[in-house]
Amino acid sequence: MASDIISLKDVTFSYKGSKRCALDGITLNVKQGECVAILGPTGAGKSTLACVMNGTAPRFMDGSLAGDVTVDGMVPAKVGTAQMASRVGLVFGDPDTQLFGMTVEEDVAFGPSNLGLGYESIMERVGKSMKDMRLSGLERRAPHRLSGGQKQATAIAGVYAMLPKIMVLDEPTSMLDPEGKARVFGIVRMLKEQLGVTVVLIEQEVDDILNLADRVFVMRRGKFVLSGAPREVFGRVEELRQAGVRVPQIVEFGTLIGAAETPFSIDEAVSAVGLPCSSTNEVESRAPSAHDGHDVHDEQDDVVVEAVDVEFTYPGGARALDGVDLAINRGDFVAIVGQNGAGKTTLTRHFNGLLRPSSGDIRVLGRSAQGVPTIELCRHVGYVFQNPDEQLFCTSVQEELKFGPTNIGADPAVTSQRVEEILSDIGLAKYREVWPKYLTKGERQRLALASVVAMDPDVLIVDEPTTGLDWVESLQILDYLEQLRDKHGKTIIIITHDMNIVSLYARRVVVMARGRVVGDGAPREIFSQPDLMELACLRRPPIADLSQALWGEVLLTPAEAAARLLAAKSQAAGVCSE
Amino acid sequence: MIVEYESKSSAVHRLDPRVKFAWMFAAIVISVMWTHPVYLILLALAVVGFGLLAGFPWSKIRGVLSFMIIVTAIITLVQGATYVPKTVTLDEPARVLFHLIPSWIPRVGPACPIRVGGFLYGIGMALKVVTVLVVVAIFGFTTSPSEIVQIIARVPFMPYQVGFVMSTAWKFVPVVQMQMRTLMDAHRSKGVDFEQGAFSEKIKKTSGIVLPLFANSLSMADTMALAMESRAFGSSRKFTFIRPYRMEPFDWVVLIGSLGAMVASILLLAVFKLGAL
Repeated sequence: MASDIISLKDVTFSYKGSKRCALDGITLNVKQGECVAILGPTGAGKSTLACVMNGTAPRFMDGSLAGDVTVDGMVPAKVGTAQMASRVGLVFGDPDTQLFGMTVEEDVAFGPSNLGLGYESIMERVGKSMKDMRLSGLERRAPHRLSGGQKQATAIAGVYAMLPKIMVLDEPTSMLDPEGKARVFGIVRMLKEQLGVTVVLIEQEVDDILNLADRVFVMRRGKFVLSGAPREVFGRVEELRQAGVRVPQIVEFGTLIGAAETPFSIDEAVSAVGLPCSSTNEVESRAPSAHDGHDVHDEQDDVVVEAVDVEFTYPGGARALDGVDLAINRGDFVAIVGQNGAGKTTLTRHFNGLLRPSSGDIRVLGRSAQGVPTIELCRHVGYVFQNPDEQLFCTSVQEELKFGPTNIGADPAVTSQRVEEILSDIGLAKYREVWPKYLTKGERQRLALASVVAMDPDVLIVDEPTTGLDWVESLQILDYLEQLRDKHGKTIIIITHDMNIVSLYARRVVVMARGRVVGDGAPREIFSQPDLMELACLRRPPIADLSQALWGEVLLTPAEAAARLLAAKSQAAGVCSE
Repeated sequence: MIVEYESKSSAVHRLDPRVKFAWMFAAIVISVMWTHPVYLILLALAVVGFGLLAGFPWSKIRGVLSFMIIVTAIITLVQGATYVPKTVTLDEPARVLFHLIPSWIPRVGPACPIRVGGFLYGIGMALKVVTVLVVVAIFGFTTSPSEIVQIIARVPFMPYQVGFVMSTAWKFVPVVQMQMRTLMDAHRSKGVDFEQGAFSEKIKKTSGIVLPLFANSLSMADTMALAMESRAFGSSRKFTFIRPYRMEPFDWVVLIGSLGAMVASILLLAVFKLGAL
């Protein structure tokens, strides 16, 4: 029987100045070759736990550590991070902050070079790492010219080249597009199954973890609140929800249909359905969809922003937009999707004048935006950036909300009233005097969004609103956007890689690839086109795959699929009884 | 750097970085010593040949060169008009080549004589400046920051971490620039107009970027430091460079050629005044 390679006993870590323990009596034993997934909302202590395993906590984090931590027979806090590096490899979410070489080869060699190994040994390790991580052929490529997935694969290869027995991956897919995520999960599977590396995977992508991890631990407020085999943990749907973790779609579907055994894969779900005596494909009835899409898009013809044959080339010569035609109607909720580098951000930055087309025209509220400065356009088109820390400048939450309206000369009395309403809507009223830096990532994201909403624009463009957020925080942001659309008639445009979010909220999906719009329609229409999904390197949600397998059509949510099944069963029962 | 490093497999890119450094050093020393335009043209041609061998993107320095041509034209004319005959060894340094204000302009012409000695001296100066600029650009284009780290790290008693930190700081500059652009865009999106207003107002608006830029840069540097240490940075006194220096025949040719040319030019200038005006 394999011995424990990681052993944590009653471990507590408190950050200096914090009343709450980031880790509160954690006990964890991981056997050699195991793949353990750690889930939980942001602020649960997952990253702190990862840092304890390689000694970066308390080395880099001001705080106190108590309890017993043994990793591969060493005590990380005593040995030090650099010395632990050849035993525990730590990979972070943002690949850009962990690539140091001028070429991919140099970067992968960085760790072994620091160990002072001989040249031949280093090159052997580099060659093997690059081959195993499917990076062969990219040796001389500059890391900043790689795709997101390739960058993260390079970061993992750099750690793997140090031949650690353990790899700790801290949300390695959080900043990647669907193709990049698939690549990273493929690597994790290979590390576990073929290379025998012990993997600790901190993730939010529950659908992928379901059939990847040997054991799953759910953290909340520094404690493990659930643990066990994936089937055991993911079967406890209510407890998962309480812990703020998204329930995998297939599992949720199984719960909704009251399956005797919880399904964990599409095949299991198909078996669990128990097909009625007549083919369900014949059943016409269908539960109301999450969003059939185009409800506003088709009915209204009030275009608020429009791109007319827009081309854009960056100063370096990179062509980012190649003849884009797109009209967005008032009150629509549009998701722009596509691979990293497809031109999504470049296109939307044209709508408030941050970028100007090389050729073609941008029209805002029916008028050409040519020559209209951003200071004017931002009254009508609000832009929320991906990283909240790049758009919060003031020393209090309240000031932050007043910053934009004051700049555009809004009435101070109206602004004050609106700020009060917004503070209440986004649940930050109690933090009005707090410096935004002290808020959690989810709160900062909500504040960044609200600071633009305070300017009362007609159109809100939100770039990757859920990056780095947990499921509950993501829903809070999206619910707020939906509220702005429903109650205040705002037009919402989001850029996202999260197809679950697209399924739940978008009325219209615009698919971009290589600087062009290659698909445009309701989520159901888009997810029904496998060729289009492949072209744009997108992955539809598992429930779409399941409903396609069951009924030959795409449904968007587990609730919709469950309702469809129940309707089909009751109709089939009627047919049988006749 | 005037031109950013590009990873290529040209003969110059493949040279040992120490050899490239020696070539740059020799070319700069020679160009500083020589004053005669004919000799400097020969040097410039040799540098251009080296650039061609490296696949140097000449179009990328077109802007800088255009600017330098204007500057050097001014240098040439100023030198031509103000030269001191004693600084050159020509037979007829004082002979007037042409007048800046020609004789056909009534009352004032001819005036501002441009003399042979000064004119040639000015052209030499201009050639020096352009040659040094191109030499440095070719070095930057063919030598990666990590190779520069290796040069620094091979200085006796220099810890490799010093060179690495310098190189990382260098790579950090464009990241910070990008951060600054994003912060300015975020300000613009909230109605801040950096172009409008008095100077003091512009300063005030720009200062709004400083705090978040500083905070974000610190946070990023912190994460980078953590990631570096997680990959054993500083765990050993020894750092193995993945391109071990093995001097190939072409390295020796360039090294001996560069240093030989430098020594020869010093001797010939000292003994026979070759290269001087």
